Order: sequence, then C-alpha cells, then structure tokens
Amino acid sequence: MKIDLDRLKDIVGEDNIRNNAADLYIYGSDASVHVATPWVVVQPKKISEVQDILRYANEELIPVIPRGAGSGMSGHTVPIDGGIILDMKRMNRILEIRPQDILCRVEAGVVDDDLNRALKPFGFFYPPAPASSRIATIGGEIANNASGIRSVKYGATRDSVLGMKVVMANGDLVNLGSNTRVEASGYQIERLIVGSEGTLAVIVEATLKIVPLPKYRCLGIASFNKLEEAGEAISDVISSGASPSMLELMDDVAITAVNKALNLGLPDVEAIVIFEADGMVKEAVDYEINRIKEICERHNGFGIKYSYDAKERARIYAGRKKLFAALSRYKEGLSCTSLADDMAVPNSRMADMAKKIHEVAKRNNVIMTAYGHCGSGVMHTKILMDPTKKEQWEDARRAVAEIYDYVREIGGTTSAEHGIAISKAPFWKKERKDSLEIMRAIKKALDPNNILNPHKLMDAPDDWVTATRLRYPVGGR
Amino acid sequence: MKVNYLKEWLNELNICIRCAYCFEGCPVYKVLGWEADTARGKTVLSYGLLTGELEPSKYIAEKIYQCTFCRDCVERCSANVSVPEILAAARADLADWGFAYDSHKHMIENVKKSGNIFGDPEARAPKREGEVLVFIGCQFLARPNQTKLYLRILEKLGLKPKVKEEICCGFPFYALGFRKDLEVHKERFLKLFPEEEIITLCPTCMAYLHEGYGKKVKHITQVLVDRVPEVDLGITATYHDPCDLSRVMHITEEPREILKRIGVEVVEMENNRKTSHCCGGGGGILSTDEKLSDRIAARRIEQAKATGADLLVTPCPTCEQVLKKASKGEIQVRNISDLIWKAIKKSQTST
Repeated sequence: MKIDLDRLKDIVGEDNIRNNAADLYIYGSDASVHVATPWVVVQPKKISEVQDILRYANEELIPVIPRGAGSGMSGHTVPIDGGIILDMKRMNRILEIRPQDILCRVEAGVVDDDLNRALKPFGFFYPPAPASSRIATIGGEIANNASGIRSVKYGATRDSVLGMKVVMANGDLVNLGSNTRVEASGYQIERLIVGSEGTLAVIVEATLKIVPLPKYRCLGIASFNKLEEAGEAISDVISSGASPSMLELMDDVAITAVNKALNLGLPDVEAIVIFEADGMVKEAVDYEINRIKEICERHNGFGIKYSYDAKERARIYAGRKKLFAALSRYKEGLSCTSLADDMAVPNSRMADMAKKIHEVAKRNNVIMTAYGHCGSGVMHTKILMDPTKKEQWEDARRAVAEIYDYVREIGGTTSAEHGIAISKAPFWKKERKDSLEIMRAIKKALDPNNILNPHKLMDAPDDWVTATRLRYPVGGR
Repeated sequence: MKVNYLKEWLNELNICIRCAYCFEGCPVYKVLGWEADTARGKTVLSYGLLTGELEPSKYIAEKIYQCTFCRDCVERCSANVSVPEILAAARADLADWGFAYDSHKHMIENVKKSGNIFGDPEARAPKREGEVLVFIGCQFLARPNQTKLYLRILEKLGLKPKVKEEICCGFPFYALGFRKDLEVHKERFLKLFPEEEIITLCPTCMAYLHEGYGKKVKHITQVLVDRVPEVDLGITATYHDPCDLSRVMHITEEPREILKRIGVEVVEMENNRKTSHCCGGGGGILSTDEKLSDRIAARRIEQAKATGADLLVTPCPTCEQVLKKASKGEIQVRNISDLIWKAIKKSQTST
C-alpha cells in the first residue's frame, strides 16, 4: 500500500513523519514477542491533526495503530496489517488540575509519573500505578485499562476515568463522560473505550479522578516457606475485610531475579507477601498493618517487618516495580518472555493458581514465576526460556494453553491488566465466546472500515506463535 | 556485511525485554522525541544489524552515534542491559563497514600522531617526580592552568604528585568504534602506565582505566575529600554529577562532602547522583552533533537555574565546557578545583 506522504506532511509537517526502514523496524515491536512492520510513523501534536490523519486513513482504508510508550506485553501496538503508527507521545500537556473538583485533564501522551509529579504539590495523586508508570502514557493506560500495585484499594484505570475526548475512525471528535463523580444512565461509552486497546477510537484527552495523598504509608514484608501459604494469606487478608493499599505476591523465582539484578537483599524463601496500608490517621494505618500481619502469621508467615520510612518503602517498591525486566537475569541463557503473563482468578483460588504455574512450568521444560497484585486478584507470570530454540516455543505454546485452560476452569479470566491484543487472544476468545459477536458488532458500528488497530482482541489470529514474526532469532535466523 | 562485534551481544539483546523503562531519563530522547533516539530504539537497531534484518545505512549510523554514553538507560534498566557496550560494538561494526564519522577518524588520527585527541603536540603532561601517580588526560592537558591548579592543590594538601609523559586513555577508540586501533593503542598505553594504582582528574579517563584496563583508580575528589580545609566560603552552589563518575564509578558523595567542608551549600537539581542528567558532551556527539549536545546541555542548565544557586560546580572538564557554553552567562559554571583552591587560600589567610 502506498502512503501519500505529501498528504501526511501537510497535516503534521515533514519533521513529524518517519518512514525509513530503521524507524519502521523500531516501531514494529513493543514489549511483546511479536513484530510486524508499519508503513509510516506519525507524531501528531494537536487533536485536529489526529482527526485529519484518521480522515485520510479512513478514506484510503489504511490501518491506524495508536501508540504510547509501546510497553504493552501482548502486542497491542504491533501493526499486524502494517499501516500508520500514531505515536501519541508529543501530545503530552497537562491541561488542568482542579483539586476542588478532584480531577485533572490531560492529553493522551502525558506520562503517568509526570502527572503524579505535577499533582504532588496539590496534595493529590493518580492511583492506578502500573509498574511501567515511569514511561507509560495515560492514553496507553486507558486503552489497556492498566492497573497496578495500588489497585487493590483504588481500583484500575476504568475506575479513575471520568471522561475523555476521542477521535473516531471517520475523524469525528467526540466528548465522552463528564466532570462529575457520578454518571448514571445511558451507554457509558467512555467506559467501553477503556480497555478497547485502540480498536474503537483514538484517545486524545482524558479527564481523570484524582485522590488526596495519604499522610501515612506503611510497607511490610512477610516471608513464607510455602508458596501456597502465601497465596492463602493474601486471599484471607482480602476476605477479612482488611483494606491494604498494596498486597503483592513474589515467588522464589521473582525474588531471586530481583536480588540478582538489583541486589535488594529480599529474603531467600519460597514466597514473600509485600503489603502496604495508607491513610490520614496513623492509628488506622497501624490497625490495618497489624491485621495483615496477624493473618500472615496465621498462615505461617514469618520474619515480618514493616516500616513507615520513605527510603525503605522506596527500595522495596522499586524492586517490585522493576521485577518484569529483572526476570531476564534469573538464569544465564534464558530470556523473560511476556507469555501467559497476566490473569485474574477468584480470590479463594490465588494459592491454587500460584501452585499451578509451577506445575505447568515443570511439565513443559520452561521456568515460570508466580507474582502479582494478588490482593486485587491479579496473578502474573512470565516464561523464562531460550527464545532462540524452536522447541522452546513449542514448550511455551503448550504451557500458555495449559495455564489459560486452568484459569477458565477455576472461573478466572485471561485479562487482568496487561491486555489481550495478540498473544492472549486465542484464550480470551474461548473465554468470551458468548460475547464475541456483540463485540464485533460494536467494532463494526464505530469503525466500519476496520482501520483502528485491526486484528487484535476478538479479531486476532487463533495461533499466537504464528500470528506475526517473532522478535527472537528462532533457530538462528 | 560481516558482523564482527555485535555477535557476542546476541544473548544480551535477547535479555532486553523492550519494556521502554530506558525512555525515562534518556537525554537524547528528551530532546529529539522519537523512539530511535532511545536506548531501546538503538538496541533494536543493533539487533536488526546483527540478525541481518536491517541493512546498515547512514541513518542507522547517525542514530547509533547519537548517544552520549551517559548510562542513564542502564541505571533505569532493571535487567541492567549493557546498552553502552552494545552500542560500542554496533559502532565498531559500523566503522568497519565504512560508516565512521570523519570527525571521529580525525580524532583517532590525532591520538596516533600526538598522543592526545586534539592533535596538539604542545599539550603535554607537566612531568614531575613524586609519589602518587596522577593521570592528567587529554581534556585537562588542553587546560594547562587547571591541571597546574590541581597539582598545586595536591602539593598544598601534603601529597607529592607524580606526572609522566602520557597518551590518551583510549576511551575514544572504544566508544567511537575503532577496535583494531584500540588494541594497538592499549598496548602502547600499558607500556607507559604499567602501574596498578592511578589517580585521575577526568571522570571519563577514570572510568576507562577501570573498565578497559582493570586498574585501581581513584578520582581526585576521593583523594582530596579528607584533606581539604574546613572553611566557610559562604557560597550556594548546585553540583553536577558527571555520568562517568556517578553512574560508572559510583562516586557521588565525595565531591559533595568536599563542598560541604569548604562551606559551599549544595542545592540539588531535580536529577542528581545516579539519575543525574547528562551534560550532553559524551559519546562523541560533541564533534558530530554539536546542536544536539547544546540542547541537552540547555536542559541541564534549566535544572541548575531552578535551584536558585549562584554556581554550578562539576569536576569534569567536558561537562564544565559544555555547560558553560549552554549557560549563556545565566549561571556561573566552575570546576570544583577553583573552589578547593579558594578554600585553601582562605584557610591560609585565616591562619
């Protein structure tokens, strides 16, 4: 397909377009195992430019893939059919902060941590806090319905989005949602856009709920000699009615990797639970911490330490936030691949899921880890393998399928917070088989020419291994 | 085209999970704004060259060379991916394939001819007999007054510096991709400097003597920290951590301690210590892309001005030069040696 570069230049200016082989190669991958090649990369600065680009793409039936930091793990921004990569990072203005209305309004390319830095002087924060918050853009977080370590208390992105401006496939600009904390009736389209992975509209602006910064935060760690006991402790903390602001699981693989890469000195045990409570009154925080501590002890948790010290909290917090990449250092010759990386299971099945992950890994000659924001039901894993060996991809293929078969069996879901895109689509489609046609009808209604991030989610290929080229030189490419 | 140097980095390139965390503080990306300007972008390009999925081109060379080797990306990377080493290997392959910059070739020829990167036969080390071996480095050789000042400081504080005939530490050969010449140069260097323990004035020389030769190196600030007089200069300054000193050699506190001892109140910039913002002078971009260097430096100057300090102080001659230019006189930029000397003089006056 030939792109009319002159038309794009008229819209965004020559300096904001890249179409040489090197840039296309870079923008063809993200943090997933997938790669494909786009036809052109465009960096719009204004909403009107996004509208004009989409009008052009819709006329010419050119795929458009909105992209934030490109940190998605399932291939969200991999241009499976080629097309235009819409790099949104230049639309990065914080438009207003309204403490009185407890909201802020930002452009899609604002980085999460930058927003939080700007909110801090006002005494507020934006809570979803995915591990990638240092580079993740708000638009990408919304498209993916990101959540993170504090979601156990403050919810996921969907709970923080009040409204947004989106550009539809035909170039129309639409205002969605409101500036209010309550909105009762009608189809709440803004909530539909959250988690739609760029398939329904291009998010250009968002109105977000913000939260007063707590005066006190206390972070603790409990050690466990059995992974299942750590999982059971987490389930019990949640069902007890306690209100942690963080409740994380890390198994021995995750602990080893973080200690190796970051020299954190975490306890050398089968699992740890990291917990945090926050609030405006210290006694209330103490109360929560003590409750969590007691429950951990009941499940044979030991060596429990906790601290209000900001430096100590930051050290542990950084270790958790940097875990994903650190897993690549677990063992020489293995790489960390984002496969079967994310799932949610019912609260009572957390321990079973953690145990299952290790069983599946053993059976399939790969290493897997169990960690995540288990307090909010999120379990993560990764597959550590030699990605240059063809047989390891077959091992991975089996392991991923077994994991998601089990997730469905216990009433969980393929999608917790890392999205579906390509890698997880085959399993998610099985899980959501009753609603796939409804989703396709919605997609057709909003994007009749199927230009917005096509062939993702319900329309993604059925085999993730062959859906695109793999980013690794399998078999010595 | 045959890949020689990137080959050994395949595993490291597979280790990189492309999470993009390296975007956070990359000074080149902050200025230019495309993913090709980030560490991830450059390692992906290196990967393409290694696997043959990309043909080498002038554009790819431009991107691979647009890196200041500041290692901010390594600091942000939880897998500690060896980005500078990968890029140095990519540059070595690109140089073999004929993509080296003329200005870099010229610099290497200068070293071969005169021993220093400037090709200045007059820029020679002020030789002297002494007890502690001091390596001056090209940048300070070109600043004879500052070099003399450091030597005088050492003497005043009770040390006897030994200075020998010297040649460039060899870092430019490594960083700019001249690997074959590097091996020859290293042999030459080791003949002149067989000693294990060396004090350096320049942070970059220090890092390379440590990483390239495994020498036990001390930076001048480490040597001086317990010796500077306790006086009160009554100055407020901000301290710029040179990347090689903070992120490679992990020296962040000694210079601050020196400043504290001589009565300089340090007001920190937004990015300091391990997350210091690069001055824009490293990795060879000063000779290939001065505008980019200036823009990076301007961002650092903005951070310095925001502190409200009177002075920006650094021990690195390159940082000093680049930041001075970018400051446009809006904040004074000084080498830490100037303040130490001032403190010594003040202590002498008061006694």
